[in-house]
Amino acid sequence: MSYTFDFSDVFSNIDLLLVGVRYTVLLWIVAFAFGMAVGLPLGLARGSSRRLLHLPATAYVEVFRNTPMLVQLLWFYYAFPTLTGWQVPTFVAASAGLCLNTSAYCAETFRAGLQATGRGQYEAGRALGMPETTLLRRIILPQAVSRMLPAFTNRAIELGKMTAIASVVTLPELMYEARIMTSNTYRPLEVFTVVALIYFVTIYPVTLLSYWLEARQRRSA
Amino acid sequence: MAYQWDFSVVSRNWDALLAGLGNTLLLSTASIATGAVVGMVLAGMRLSGRRLLAWPAVGVIEFFRNTPALVQLFWIFYALPVLIGVSLSSFVAAWIAFSIQSGAFFAEVYRGGIGSIERGQWEAGRAVGMGRVTLMHRIIFPQALRRMIPPMIERSFEVVKTTALAATVAYADLLYEAMSTISKSYRPLEVYSAVAAIYFVVLFGASLAAQSFERVLKRRGA
Repeated sequence: MSYTFDFSDVFSNIDLLLVGVRYTVLLWIVAFAFGMAVGLPLGLARGSSRRLLHLPATAYVEVFRNTPMLVQLLWFYYAFPTLTGWQVPTFVAASAGLCLNTSAYCAETFRAGLQATGRGQYEAGRALGMPETTLLRRIILPQAVSRMLPAFTNRAIELGKMTAIASVVTLPELMYEARIMTSNTYRPLEVFTVVALIYFVTIYPVTLLSYWLEARQRRSA
Repeated sequence: MAYQWDFSVVSRNWDALLAGLGNTLLLSTASIATGAVVGMVLAGMRLSGRRLLAWPAVGVIEFFRNTPALVQLFWIFYALPVLIGVSLSSFVAAWIAFSIQSGAFFAEVYRGGIGSIERGQWEAGRAVGMGRVTLMHRIIFPQALRRMIPPMIERSFEVVKTTALAATVAYADLLYEAMSTISKSYRPLEVYSAVAAIYFVVLFGASLAAQSFERVLKRRGA
């Protein structure tokens, strides 16, 4: 191949990419934390026998799971302000979009995990006169969470990759910095290669964690 | 709300959106079909027991499962042409990117399916004198296939959603048609809502169909 690689432009501007990494990681953490927090009540509503809770939660979950993330993000960034007249800051729009998407998947994990916990556990708690919330917090969730961990780690990996989509709405995370750098240096090969490696190094530890959790679960099963 | 909804922009541009949906489905089908083959090759390499084949396969699988699809797409669309000196159309770039990416995921589905078949099946096949290939082809694969179908279908839906990224390299899919409609009409709310609804109808409809298909499979005793 006649092409001569030249990474000097990339390495002399590496601090720009590192600023991007900071945003990527921040977005990742914020969206995941909120996604989990919103997912729990959603999962409870989805598993509820009351229609008024069950139906809206199901609709929410299905809508977010059956449309592309990019469409959801564009909707929040461009369509939502038209409706409300409130121009959301980029970071808020991006993290809200990613959070809502993640919450829909987390809701399913919570629902499945809570349903998998034996009925006897619920009955025993109620027999002791525990209110529902105490029962959940003290008895059910601690047992269900370890079972749900692999699913949550997988969701975290998917979310980590999804953060790159925020570049489309000009959030200055890693992928956005890469696009800017490419248009300044005309070195797409070097820039995108380095950026792909940075993403890999950032996300792969979580994957290794998920392998470990899955192996642990298989052993205990 | 003071906002005046006007969905006529959607009906006026319906033909363009439908054409976009056609392209979305074309790219999805092409990527899933090629990805299924790529996945088979990768899984075969990984399970071959030979390091020289297994390690590169693991490398490809892990790399493509742990980097964003958008980065892969941009690498193939903008970076690969620099390397090979041939520029790629947005369709070809997206096709390559999503085929390898879905192939990496499919490979793990195959591996999981094959790995889930009990050892006794292998031993029985060997006991009656079957070679590795015959054994795989006649005994293991048919059983594993049934277990692979649900995760394969689920992965395929992911691919359809991922194809929306191709709009960022100007492939004329559903989302791209939506963007160009919006740039002419300044009606992001109506158009993006309609596009989300179209994706939803296609994907949710397909997932309902898949669920009833899986129920049929189960009843037949998979």
